[in-house]
Amino acid sequence: MPNRRDFYRLGAIALGNLFALAVAVPGVKYLLDPLGKSSGGGEFRTLTRLGRLKVGEPQAFSILSERRDAWVKYPTEPVGSVWLVRQPEGSKEPVVALSAECPHLSCPVPLAPDRKSFLCPCHQANFTLEGARINEVAARGMDRLPVELSGDADPEVRVRFERFQPQSAEKKPLA
Amino acid sequence: MLNTTMNWIDDRTGLRSLARRVLDRPIPGGARWGHALGFALASTLAVDLVTGLLLMSTYSPSSSTAWGSVYYITYQMDLGWFVRGLHRFGSFGAVVLGGLFLLRLVLIGAYRAPREVHWWLAAGTFLLILGLGVTGNILPWDQRGYWAAMVETNIAGATPVVGPAIKKVILGGSEFGNQTITRFHALHVSVLPGLLVLCGWAYAVLFGKDGYHGPAGSETAEPYWPRQALYDLAASSAALGVLAALTLAFHGYSLDAPADPSSSDYPARPEWYFLPLNQLLHVFEGKEFIATMVIPGGIVTGLLLLPLLDKVIPRKFAYIASCSFMMTVALAAFVLIGVAVYKDARSETFRKDRAKADADAARAIELATLNGVPPEGSAYVLGLDPLHRGGEIFGKKCQGCHSLGDRKADEPSAPDLKGYGSLAWVRGLLENPGSPAYFGKTPQCNGMSKWKKSSQLSAEELDRVAAYVASFATIPADVTPAEWLDDPRVKEHPGRELYEGECAQCHTLGVPGDASERIQPAPDLFAWGSPRWAARMIREPGSPSHYGYLEKKKAQKMPSFGGQLTDADISTLVRFIKGDYPGSGKGSR
Ligand code: FES
Repeated sequence: MPNRRDFYRLGAIALGNLFALAVAVPGVKYLLDPLGKSSGGGEFRTLTRLGRLKVGEPQAFSILSERRDAWVKYPTEPVGSVWLVRQPEGSKEPVVALSAECPHLSCPVPLAPDRKSFLCPCHQANFTLEGARINEVAARGMDRLPVELSGDADPEVRVRFERFQPQSAEKKPLA
Repeated sequence: MLNTTMNWIDDRTGLRSLARRVLDRPIPGGARWGHALGFALASTLAVDLVTGLLLMSTYSPSSSTAWGSVYYITYQMDLGWFVRGLHRFGSFGAVVLGGLFLLRLVLIGAYRAPREVHWWLAAGTFLLILGLGVTGNILPWDQRGYWAAMVETNIAGATPVVGPAIKKVILGGSEFGNQTITRFHALHVSVLPGLLVLCGWAYAVLFGKDGYHGPAGSETAEPYWPRQALYDLAASSAALGVLAALTLAFHGYSLDAPADPSSSDYPARPEWYFLPLNQLLHVFEGKEFIATMVIPGGIVTGLLLLPLLDKVIPRKFAYIASCSFMMTVALAAFVLIGVAVYKDARSETFRKDRAKADADAARAIELATLNGVPPEGSAYVLGLDPLHRGGEIFGKKCQGCHSLGDRKADEPSAPDLKGYGSLAWVRGLLENPGSPAYFGKTPQCNGMSKWKKSSQLSAEELDRVAAYVASFATIPADVTPAEWLDDPRVKEHPGRELYEGECAQCHTLGVPGDASERIQPAPDLFAWGSPRWAARMIREPGSPSHYGYLEKKKAQKMPSFGGQLTDADISTLVRFIKGDYPGSGKGSR
């Protein structure tokens, strides 16, 4: 009976494939799990109060953050630093946050000795106090970080720290 | 092109002829559903192997990381719960199918000459499956696996003479620890599966030699392909379907709280397929070696000797004896599991302990999700938790006298601590200091009640004083009384003046004044209700700043716990009382 034989044959092949797929599909999804996990840009962290910042005097703050490694959470430790630059009264943003990581090759950028600009000690990349390029060493200006102000009379300044790819002309978040 | 490649491969490997040999293998008497049992067992083991390899890519074998990695698999990874659940239920499936497979070999008479070695390999496979269950169960390092392994290794340790040495070698020391996990892990992921594959391979070779076992005297034969192939795959798919359904129904396999060697009331149970042995322990109380050694040893020896029975008694009787032996063991196991489950279901203590274990597990998972596992290891997930650890201490040390909202004191003889240090607590105290929730149970502390009788403050004024006093609880630990009193926000506090007029007659505020000026002695209120004040109260309630004055009156006072609790425990306890813990809605993380 060819019909019956065909049924067995096709049935066996179908069931075999079904069985393999039922294990393989969840298995592949499980293995690819890391693709779905973002390293997360972090949260806004309070650094200071607006009133403590003075126009023309950028101040450096460490970013303290917790680190998660799969299931383990490590306690808070410094992961980077930012410059907070108070803007003159009436500007659109009252304060600008600049990542202290040099957009050239990621050295930490301090103020120049005259405190009128930022000057990277590694390859002399030079930036204005707003972070714009003065020379061509870096491919872009210093990276601005998102700032949030609380609603208080003397608002808290909150910054979300993020890292960006060095060297490229555009500001691209690191993975 | 494809054909040439295939021909080349076949020429070099003989794959095609092998496939033909397998597919055309004759089945005496035709295809049968019963024959599919072995294939279903093999494919279930294959599922365990694949899911096991997947789990291995995440699992981390050490006593500090194992629980965290299994938590991560179960609650954080894509379909991790499914993979782990399938692995776990797959192991149950393998035990069931392995048992049925052995049973069938005996019933159809395929265990004896010329198939003795088939039988030994099959029995070995079954024992290996059980071994994989035992070694795998401990790997999550949760309460369930930890205590089950405790019971199981103690059974091994009860072996006369060599037992203790065996146990020490298995555990890698006299206590459970890192060495235990690494050893069980090595057995579970390489030694036992390796032996299992070897057994399976040898079985397949012998099967190739001897073929299917058909009914006696069957003349006809049918090739394996396609009917028996369909039966085989249908049976495997059905098995996988049941296992997947179980996994879905229970949403994977649960994870208990991290292993806690100090727990006193965890209801330890072995895996369900060892329940019969556990039950026998109760039956043979006092003569436990019967349950741990004689009976299991007898069963294993019986299994191994079964095919040789023919040599000593007539074939027919040997068959009947073998069948009765297998049926008796299977039935006894079934009944004993039933009895064990029934007893547990009816036992009040078991249900209570199990409910507590479940609550601990839920809390551990909540904390791991909120906080992650601390770097020190998974034991600290609950060990550092104010709700769990603090609640435990409260129950042991405080609850005799204090209640805390719903947690009623055994013999209330002290204030209720619910909301201690909060505005509501202070306001309630000022309203009715003599109520049982405040100083009603402690007549030696009647100062507040005396004040209340003479005080003229209106409700609005009481609100203001209460707000002022409640603010003491927020004084940071590094602020001195002088600094604090100098703060303009304190100076201008609307409740301050009233406080000076009413409360300061008895209570000092960090600046010890002239005792004779006070109407009657009372605790100093600087930073009252803050963690440091509360910790001092627990450590040394008789200190001059707190209730030292009761000492002079020779009145009963709270005992000091300074020598009994570590500093860490005291601060954990304070956080518990103040509701300062993750998930409480107000606590810090
Ligand atoms: S890294 Fe800053 S200039 Fe090169």
